[in-house]
Amino acid sequence: MRKLLVAGAIAAGLTVSARAQEADTPAPRPTSEPSPQPTPPPGHVPQAAPTAEQQSDRAKLEADIARELGAAPPGPVTPGARESAPAPQAPAPGPAAPTGGNPFARILLLPDISAVGSGALSWNDYDIATRSPREGPWSDPRRVTALFQELELGVQAVIDPYARGDVFLAFSDEGASIEEAYLTALTLPAGVVVRAGKLFSPFGRINTQHPHTWELVDRPLAWQRLLSVEALGGPGLDVAWLAPLPWFAELHLAYQTVEPAALSFAADAVAPGAARTGVARLVNFVDFTERLSVGGGVSGALLENGEGWRDVAGADVYLKYRPGPSKTYLALQSEWIWRRSRASAEPRSDWGVYTQAVYHVSRRWGFGGRWERAPGVFDGAFGGAEQRWSGLASFAPSEFQRLRLQGGWSRLPAGGDGLEALLAVEFSMGAHGAHPF
Amino acid sequence: MDEPLTRPPPKNGVEMRLISAVACAVAALIVAGSPAAAVALDVVTTTEGLASLVREVGGNRVSVTSLSRGTQDPHFVDASPAVAVKIRRAQLLVDVGLDLEVGWLPGLVNVSRNADVQPGGKGRLTAATAVQVVEAPTGPVDRSQGDIHPGGNPHFLSDPRRAEQVAQAIAAKLSQLDPAGAAQYEAQLSAFDKKLAAARRGWEEKLAPIRGRAVITHHRTLSYFLDWAGLTVAGYLEPKPGTPPPPSHIAELVGIAKARGVKAILVENYYDQRPAEVLAKHSGARVLSIPGDVGGAPEAKDWFSWVDLLVTRIVEANR
Repeated sequence: MRKLLVAGAIAAGLTVSARAQEADTPAPRPTSEPSPQPTPPPGHVPQAAPTAEQQSDRAKLEADIARELGAAPPGPVTPGARESAPAPQAPAPGPAAPTGGNPFARILLLPDISAVGSGALSWNDYDIATRSPREGPWSDPRRVTALFQELELGVQAVIDPYARGDVFLAFSDEGASIEEAYLTALTLPAGVVVRAGKLFSPFGRINTQHPHTWELVDRPLAWQRLLSVEALGGPGLDVAWLAPLPWFAELHLAYQTVEPAALSFAADAVAPGAARTGVARLVNFVDFTERLSVGGGVSGALLENGEGWRDVAGADVYLKYRPGPSKTYLALQSEWIWRRSRASAEPRSDWGVYTQAVYHVSRRWGFGGRWERAPGVFDGAFGGAEQRWSGLASFAPSEFQRLRLQGGWSRLPAGGDGLEALLAVEFSMGAHGAHPF
Repeated sequence: MDEPLTRPPPKNGVEMRLISAVACAVAALIVAGSPAAAVALDVVTTTEGLASLVREVGGNRVSVTSLSRGTQDPHFVDASPAVAVKIRRAQLLVDVGLDLEVGWLPGLVNVSRNADVQPGGKGRLTAATAVQVVEAPTGPVDRSQGDIHPGGNPHFLSDPRRAEQVAQAIAAKLSQLDPAGAAQYEAQLSAFDKKLAAARRGWEEKLAPIRGRAVITHHRTLSYFLDWAGLTVAGYLEPKPGTPPPPSHIAELVGIAKARGVKAILVENYYDQRPAEVLAKHSGARVLSIPGDVGGAPEAKDWFSWVDLLVTRIVEANR
């Protein structure tokens, strides 16, 4: 059966070229190879290239059909111009059907499934819950604690010729949640891509990234303090337009419902409850040389906040330098966020920033650090500023697991300081995802 | 609207110069953005080897850009979103397939706004669909076997037999997208086939004296080439694909190399050369640093000179 499948695959491959049959097809040496005498699979007819005349007939027919369907007629068809629907596809490298059909068809239609698990050993010498409240991982003071961070389950597939779907479910000690689940329309005209569903807001750089793509183990402090959520996001719509420029310049406009966390210390700045949110982001990427890529973006968001509104703005830069063709690179990343609330009697504004640099010495080893500044929390309310310095050593035995040691020193708003350490492990299984850039 | 248009007041010199400078810049951008009259198709390939074959078959009717360089490991191309802009304008995207580019290409294609080059689009050609694939796992597959390619070995372009099949598939695709140029593609493909046949005779003559010799390679990058060249593989420096060799594995290879009289250790120049050097020191074999693709060495300017370089160096090392 297997040999039949392989023979079918070869046949399908060869019919790509109308000439293939008469060509001097090399007989492969490997003994595992079946006879390369190709027979076209049923239903696959090699097609001669259409002439220009046939193409113009085709364009006319398309226009007629479009009129009959009550749609606007398409423009003239030029060679290579997009057709109204992607053409039926050339054979995939997989096996084509022998007689009786392919018994594995159902498996072929399964979506890509992946799971990423992460956990950490945590130690800190101060009470993070009251003096530097934030999302995990952290432990009670001076107790080495093993923590399970998150299991992220990804289910991804192309849905039909026009769209793909991506679903990410997060399981943690707090329960299960839909991290993101959205449809992406990929065949829209004019450089527009639309995503609809539950999604991270296109705000800043780290906000849209899943935890396993971060360089450091935890998210910068500024995120939860200024956005009042682990990541800005929720059900809604994101329209992204790629400007027709020689570099990558993308403009996002999103409308979402965001649910800010009820933070006791932020009562004067953030009203809990679902908030209608508008987000705009412009992001650019330029490859200055083969070795140096630079990205930069500006973001703005307007969130409903009780009776009034909350304004958030951000700017981010990213720089990647590769000194040679090996897997060594330096990645610099910095983001700044500013927030103003207009809800309470007296408006207040706060800001935060982080800057990180990680040098990936080889495919396995990376070293780096981060400095950050965020509004501090003192006596259960915002007050002063907190600064934190973190160092990182990262070891990835393969692409599918990573061990990281991170140490941090925090200078707290009321004077005093705090030490923290994390030993984090992360693994991924299933479909091979793209490397983050 | 019958009123005569009033002439705008004359601008001062600086303003006019500024306006004309902006106009020139815009015009330059438009000119730069539009393809030259003779070019019918804008083709983007993932590797330089594929780009070279497209050039052979497409000639002056196509403009070709490779997304990666021959000096890079094609599994780990570090492609920024800026690269997606090249894909946006492409009428044809040629990739190798078999998950070679899985770590970097899908994300770029997703943001490219080019529906034609999506998997299954009419402007997409996956070269692997045109060749007989070897080393496709026949048993259960998991990553205890290393970073394997579950669909089979994607490093087929250095094999002249497969390159010919890929060139045929490219010609068919170009003719389908640009019917007006079909005759030219057909003629260029015939010319390529003739040139290839002549080159193959020369290479096979050179290789004849070393047929049957065993070599050691770093990754399974040369399975197809060595099969064509009549050489065998005594072992791989990577104990499993994508994993660096521990000392125990190199020690084992030393024994194998001596027992089988291995003279050459072939390592693509984008890999760490140290394990090969250590093995060479202990086994007496020679390290042969080779370009992994067209453009991987200054002499490997196109597909022919790349394969010629591989043949020449391997023959020399095995003499």
